[in-house]
Amino acid sequence: MTKRRLYIPTGFSRRSFLKRSGAAAAGLAAASMMPAWASALAQDKTTLRALVPAAPDPTPPGVPNATFSAETNAAFDAWQAANNAVVAYEDVPWPQLHDKMAANFASGVHTHDVVYMSGWVPEFADFLVPFVDDLPSGLVSDLPASSFSTVTWDGRKMGVVFTLSLLTTFYNQAMFDAEGIGAPPKDWAELLGIAEQLTKDGKYGWVLNYGETAGIGGVATYWFVFLQQAGGHLYDQNGQPDFNNEAGVDSLQMMMDLMPFTDPGSITYVGINDATNVFSAGNAAMMLNWPFMWLPANDPESSAIAGQVGAALNPAGPAGSASIDGTDAYTITQTAPDPELARKLIEFYLDPAVQKSQSIDTGWLPIRLSVLNDPEVQEKSANAKVVLEQAQYPYDSYVTPDFTEVTIAISTEIQKALTGQQDAATTIANMTDQVSAIVARRG
Amino acid sequence: MAPALLVLLGVLAYPIGASLLLGFQDATIAGGGVTSEWIGLGNYERMLSDPTFAIALRNSLYFTFVEVIAVVIISLAVALLLNHLGNRSGFFVVILLIPWALAPVANAVLWKWIYNANYGILNTVLLQLGLIDQKVVWLGDPFLALNMMLIADSWKAVPFITLLLLAGLQNVPSQLYRAARVDGASTWARFRHVTLPGLRVPILVAVVLQSIWALKVFDLVFVLTKGGPMDGTVVLNFLAWRVTFNFLDLGYGAAIANVLFGIMFILALIYVRALDPDRKRRRPAAE
Repeated sequence: MTKRRLYIPTGFSRRSFLKRSGAAAAGLAAASMMPAWASALAQDKTTLRALVPAAPDPTPPGVPNATFSAETNAAFDAWQAANNAVVAYEDVPWPQLHDKMAANFASGVHTHDVVYMSGWVPEFADFLVPFVDDLPSGLVSDLPASSFSTVTWDGRKMGVVFTLSLLTTFYNQAMFDAEGIGAPPKDWAELLGIAEQLTKDGKYGWVLNYGETAGIGGVATYWFVFLQQAGGHLYDQNGQPDFNNEAGVDSLQMMMDLMPFTDPGSITYVGINDATNVFSAGNAAMMLNWPFMWLPANDPESSAIAGQVGAALNPAGPAGSASIDGTDAYTITQTAPDPELARKLIEFYLDPAVQKSQSIDTGWLPIRLSVLNDPEVQEKSANAKVVLEQAQYPYDSYVTPDFTEVTIAISTEIQKALTGQQDAATTIANMTDQVSAIVARRG
Repeated sequence: MAPALLVLLGVLAYPIGASLLLGFQDATIAGGGVTSEWIGLGNYERMLSDPTFAIALRNSLYFTFVEVIAVVIISLAVALLLNHLGNRSGFFVVILLIPWALAPVANAVLWKWIYNANYGILNTVLLQLGLIDQKVVWLGDPFLALNMMLIADSWKAVPFITLLLLAGLQNVPSQLYRAARVDGASTWARFRHVTLPGLRVPILVAVVLQSIWALKVFDLVFVLTKGGPMDGTVVLNFLAWRVTFNFLDLGYGAAIANVLFGIMFILALIYVRALDPDRKRRRPAAE
């Protein structure tokens, strides 16, 4: 019997394959750069390059797949025409943003004029332009003064937050009603009690993505919420760790006490979407979540509990309620050839009409106080009032140049506590040592 | 020859050399650019006292050792089956190639859903078969998560190694099997004294290649666990990325990558030697 061999077509060799692959790659690379070149050259316009997250994370008007209204898109086109500019977006999935901008900044090559940031302004402050003082005073006065805390480093305001994105408590009203629970938890004791009561029949009282360790939205930043509710803070006035105390231990203990009533998969959920999927499927009663999740949580196409979602102030700890800021901001790079035009683009993003459209069409709340209080915004985004009220309480995200390293170190220790491998006091002590070592290298 | 050498120098030698040099520096992104200072072996000394590096090295070696053994044994079994089918194996070869054809990230996302504690099919099937009585959080324990990643990576690796060993099996002269049967050799004896010796080189090639691929695993870790829980699934490649891009510690990240490169370079030398073991013997003798 003749044995079959692998068939290789004639004329195909390693050399011909390498040649063809190289030509194809070069062609693709050239084609990918064509739109910006062609547009700018053909129309003799200035090209503004912007690095932004891909939808559903906050995208500005003009980004493919962004869900802004036709009026807003038309206004964006009109802005480009009026400023003789073409805005070329590079929208990437949120988890890839930090790596991309780190590589871009390290290269020293001009790649973008406007860059989205989320907790990274202190880290990349040396690559950014402090432009906030050049913004119109009417605009600045319409922004919460506290919103500049996360984009200010070394006394320089390097960016402007464009959405009020604070963690609040989302809850399943139907699960509450079924158990006769009349209102969301007001404090830690009620949170524990309700979570326990609703944990049964394969459903859980609480869910969060404790698998993510880095940056905003990681397990460390969830602990920041409880830490501030306990009256604690991460650093003292000298920038040294200041949480090896009762507030630090109590806040971590609270998270540990919630674990028996927390979806056990939480330790494996590396993205907020993983946890939100459980919540939206009706398998968990409560979670901390960002305001933008309000729309999809109430969308029948993506949620099994549409119309049954409630938003509430985060339960108060010994010192009251607290939250953290998503710190979504726009910045201008030092390599931008026309920083003034880049600033004007950011002013467009902060225009009241665009901010209103951002809220109503995309679910990302506005940062302008006048727009936040607009009745139409509050009607469409029923959680806007809750977020506004949450903003009356502390929401420090403790961003520093080594924010990612600090949060990874803290998160890894917290995971050990949440899985029962060490107690709260030991965990807090370990965290203090590791953060101290990082701060020492900060210099 | 010169153009090819130039390309090799530019594409291979320059990045490798730059990384080696970077490993001897304290380099970071600050002050508007990359700042660096020569520190000699400082980064490598730091590795010796870095508990996360120790975890990453241990995990990488464990992952590689177990995966190589599992993949080679499974692939050999599948190759023997396909070889036995002869001309009727075409359909099965096509099915076999599907895991190999998946993009690494797609493979990772697929397994992420299989392992999902709430909705994953693994829990569903095991519950229905009565093998477990409650859902298992497959990625919730560091050692369990590492082994589940092993399964996911092995599933993708088996097809290529199977084809490699199948090609080797088809090169074993059939007369040897006939002669062995005539001499009264059993199936096991024929496998041990005819098949295995004939597969010596393909198995060695499979071991070396699979070792290199297992050492550089990244996508699975990034998608499934991000190195957690508790840094329990951090491997060398992932740690190098995290130190470089998350911590912006370019020098230390390069040093970790260089350690990984060193291990893989040694494996590559073994691979080259395995492909042409008689190369030394063919060198012309000095006159």
